[in-house]
Amino acid sequence: MHPFFRYFLKVKSLVTGTLLLAAASAHAGPMGFNGSTMAMGDFSPNWKEAWINHAVTPRDAFGAGGVAMRSDDKKLTRNFSELTYTRLLHRINGEHSQANLWLLGGAGRLTGNNFSDSKTMLAPGVSADFETTRFYASAMARLYRAPGINHDFVSARTGFSFYEVDYDQTQPWLIVEARRMRGLSEKTEVTPMLRLIHKRYFAEFGVSSMKQGRFNFMYIF
Amino acid sequence: MKNLITLKSIAACTGIVWATGTFSTAIAAESIKATVNGMVCAFCAQGIEKTLLRMPETKAVFVDLKKKIVAVEAKDGKTLDGKKITAEIKDAGYDVVKLETVAQSVEDIKTATKAKK
Repeated sequence: MHPFFRYFLKVKSLVTGTLLLAAASAHAGPMGFNGSTMAMGDFSPNWKEAWINHAVTPRDAFGAGGVAMRSDDKKLTRNFSELTYTRLLHRINGEHSQANLWLLGGAGRLTGNNFSDSKTMLAPGVSADFETTRFYASAMARLYRAPGINHDFVSARTGFSFYEVDYDQTQPWLIVEARRMRGLSEKTEVTPMLRLIHKRYFAEFGVSSMKQGRFNFMYIF
Repeated sequence: MKNLITLKSIAACTGIVWATGTFSTAIAAESIKATVNGMVCAFCAQGIEKTLLRMPETKAVFVDLKKKIVAVEAKDGKTLDGKKITAEIKDAGYDVVKLETVAQSVEDIKTATKAKK
């Protein structure tokens, strides 16, 4: 195989891994209260995904999800389906705050338009968050490992709510997310988003520094 | 004349029954008010509310995020167990730092809390 072609395939693998990491990072941490089922989605031109998980204890949730994605040049497409496990490792309840440390796990099959067989992918990670009724911050690191794909991914989010509301009212927030994808681009993608939280739902709307629209949601049953 | 006396008696009895009913309701309106740490978002409140509403003795629940209050009202004829409520909230992932029994309905607590804002 020509060295240039090998290099091209390696870059494509890196793109795939990065997109997968970015997609999973959007909502891998959260889980609902014990006995609840939470549905989540993340939609933008380059990836569309939907997840659902069920909390079997106050600290453990199992789920499944799927994501369809494509590279920036629109030539490479990937489909990934996985089973997920989320564990609340530690929580600190402050007088007016809450901090959490999460363990994330995922395993599934990856298919793509530039290889014939599917690949098994493992995706362990950790996530931490801190929030009050007016302030939010979180960070996540996750590995994606599969034959030919080996990437690290990090993201950070912070934001504030414009004002406090009663529990039964909708609360608007301004959230800014930055995420970095090692090996693909030296750019850090930054996305400012308007977040709306109500009793059962959570929705975010934004446009990234790569000029792509984005919509995220969560809903608790 | 006889009919008038009978009507008066019925009216009097009805009044007594109505008054007794009102009095009973007022006495029965007892709630447990918990101050909870770590409750900062609507999702937190949703979890606590659903957990407490699952208890067979619960009639209503009110959550105030700003004041960190969770109020639980018992169904008529039922008694709330403070220890059980504390355990349920803790199991949901939050810490109860204060618990008190108040002679108010959840609706009264809600109205009073909103009036203070």
